[in-house]
Amino acid sequence: MELYDLIIIGGGPAGVTAGIYAARKKLKTLLVTEDFIGQVGKTGQIDNYLGLPGISGIELMEKFKEHIKKFEIEIQEAEKVVRVKKEKEFFLIKTGSKKNFLTKSVIIATGRDPRPLEVPGEKEFIGQGVSYCSICDAPFFQDKAVAVIGGGNSGFEAALDLLKYAKRIFIFERSDKIIADEILQEEAKKEKKIEIHLNKEVKKIEGRGKVQSLLYHDLKTKKTFQVPIDGVFVQIGTIPATAFVKGLVEFNEADEIKVDFKTCQTSCPGIFAAGDVNDGKWKQIIIAAGEGARAALAVYKYLQNMN
Amino acid sequence: MNKVKVYSTPVCPYCVSLKEFLKKHNVDFEEIDVSQNQEAAREMVEKTGQMAVPVLEIDGEFVVGFDRKRISKLLNIEN
Repeated sequence: MELYDLIIIGGGPAGVTAGIYAARKKLKTLLVTEDFIGQVGKTGQIDNYLGLPGISGIELMEKFKEHIKKFEIEIQEAEKVVRVKKEKEFFLIKTGSKKNFLTKSVIIATGRDPRPLEVPGEKEFIGQGVSYCSICDAPFFQDKAVAVIGGGNSGFEAALDLLKYAKRIFIFERSDKIIADEILQEEAKKEKKIEIHLNKEVKKIEGRGKVQSLLYHDLKTKKTFQVPIDGVFVQIGTIPATAFVKGLVEFNEADEIKVDFKTCQTSCPGIFAAGDVNDGKWKQIIIAAGEGARAALAVYKYLQNMN
Repeated sequence: MNKVKVYSTPVCPYCVSLKEFLKKHNVDFEEIDVSQNQEAAREMVEKTGQMAVPVLEIDGEFVVGFDRKRISKLLNIEN
């Protein structure tokens, strides 16, 4: 089996930057990713990435992808890593389509996935009214009533994406306050179509063949209500995509990978974690990109010491 | 020659990837922007029961989402 110097898992800002830095150091590198979309690609507009104000998420990802393809680096797209195993001083990377790769070092840059609501009806109605991507699916809700679950930034952004289409938009938030940025709150409060409901816990999504109603519990009055609804957009945050290294590297209580921020090294020498997947505060594209660079340079040093 | 239709919206990331994939493999397709064409959107929902894009129609058969494996099989694309 071919032996790589470095395998990068993930094709977001951290993984792509790590790839560019590794290629410039002439490391024999493989980047494995499901796609070049991720969290960034599903974001409508990005205003806080340096040099490219107002760019759409998918355009930014296209630029990242073009950039990395300028370098000599092997890419396996449409591959999901399901396990990383330690093999003496090396690591074995296994993918869902049963490919195996051997490497001296690993950078984990898999970012985060949408957090599921975990109520009855959610899984059954994915694509039939339940969606995690408002910019993708909003046009199907012309003149319909929709619920957005979650009162954070992504919930408010989803509600605003739906404005053009839906006739009524309910935002359901479980806690007693909105945590979205003030600028988004102001925009949403101006719109008559948007109704914000605090202290409401969604219990069930119901329907026949498609979403027709939603059951929620009022945490203050302790009463349960049913509201007719055609769509549910789940926006209750994200969870780190770390299942494939469980037991191999140390996690914090939120399942984020613990790293030493001087080098992005994990508890397992030779494995590094960069971007949203690690236990760093503030998940931002520019931070992820910066950590990707740091991790790749740390890998270079690690390999020098290894030989 | 397969008759291929892509139901999509301009900003949906998986639609962009799907179209890129088809172009890469020299597949000609007709693009239907459901955000501009409510009638086509309704028709798509009726035929597939899906309120999500991308949806691909290959000779009358529908594929929901960017399902690389199934699409490759239906279009005889080797990966």
